[in-house]
Amino acid sequence: MNQPSIQLLVALQHADGQFPSGGFAFSQGLEASSSLAGKLGVFEFAGFVDTQIRHRWANADRVALVRAFRLAGDLDALAELDREVEASTFVEGLRSGSRRNGAALLTTHGRLGTKGAAAYRAMVRDGRASGHLAVVQGLAWQAIGLDEATAVAIGGYQMVASLGTAAVRLGLIGAIDAQASIARALPEVEAAACRPVADDEALRSFAPLCEIAVAMHGASGQRLFSN
Amino acid sequence: MDTRTSSLSQLPSRVGAARIGIGGPVGSGKTALIERLIPAFAARGVSLAIVTNDLVTAEDAERIRRSGLIDPARVAAVEAGACPHTVIREDPTLNIAAADDLEALFPDVELILIESGGDNLASTFSLDLVDWWMFVIDVAGGDDIPRKNGPGVLKCDLLVVNKTDLAPYVGVDLAAMAAQAATARAGRPMALTNCRSNDGVDAIADRIVSDVLFR
Repeated sequence: MNQPSIQLLVALQHADGQFPSGGFAFSQGLEASSSLAGKLGVFEFAGFVDTQIRHRWANADRVALVRAFRLAGDLDALAELDREVEASTFVEGLRSGSRRNGAALLTTHGRLGTKGAAAYRAMVRDGRASGHLAVVQGLAWQAIGLDEATAVAIGGYQMVASLGTAAVRLGLIGAIDAQASIARALPEVEAAACRPVADDEALRSFAPLCEIAVAMHGASGQRLFSN
Repeated sequence: MDTRTSSLSQLPSRVGAARIGIGGPVGSGKTALIERLIPAFAARGVSLAIVTNDLVTAEDAERIRRSGLIDPARVAAVEAGACPHTVIREDPTLNIAAADDLEALFPDVELILIESGGDNLASTFSLDLVDWWMFVIDVAGGDDIPRKNGPGVLKCDLLVVNKTDLAPYVGVDLAAMAAQAATARAGRPMALTNCRSNDGVDAIADRIVSDVLFR
């Protein structure tokens, strides 16, 4: 019988929803999109997840994660990449949410002593870096010794899983149904993860209905989630 | 492979402002207590900052910011993602980050109050987040709350029983409720308050200054 590798065990630890990352407080526009369904058309959870994978994560967050990973702890270069993420994330609610989620993940890695985390947190605090989630994921998961493919897999899995748990808390779907939805979405994550990423690849996303919903919802002042 | 997964005992100690948690059910008077504690700490020369966790957006934070009692910049809001338990216990990172930011912004801060979103009797604070915490219940919630042995009531450093003035109107024998709470907590500290009239608040401020700030 093959024994599980330490690489796999560490990947499980960091992919686990119990790992303190702040991610539970963000819905990436799910709350806004579902609550504004009457104004913006029909809302359907599976379709929302599919859009997030294809039109946000695959060509924006995943690309930022991979590029951050390859920067191997070069904090100034990570800050430059962070500026690209900032500039390419159109809606304030998603932009600030990504920064806050990144700061939360940096906080945990800073306390755990992950190489570069405390220094990058200091750069975020004094305004030299934005600290977007995908950039922080790349920084942290490279620093703990995961390989690039595993880091991408964790990023994709967490994105889908966090949408599932947010949907459960919002009462949109049941907990078991959420697992079925996650299982149906994983092949799409895999397909996206397989696409090569150039070291200077641009960040591209296109999810206008979600962005409009976040912008409208942000102005309403009534939110359970940070975005 | 550098897993960097050291055990808690190997983590470096945090140096900075003391952090205390204020938890309890919806409507028990957590925000009202904070509004009373702010001038009490000011009178004792304690530099303060506050983090609130709201179920929906930043209502409690806005209430405190508009109170005129404290510089609004010293009040931060953290949304709880429909999970008031999680944001103070299983994953307190958003609150830790908010408190860290307040500390960096106001280096003179000695004490940070972290108010939980309204929750139930099972909520407790992570000791990654706070050094000391209190749990606020109120007499109108029922005199059987101490007997339910909720972790919030049992494990907090100070149990606060608020709205004592309402006891006669809701059929609560306050003395019996206090005695049951003392029994459930095996004699650990408890305070009776009426935040509307400021009764009992000074004693809480004195206890925090003594037990947390070691003055």
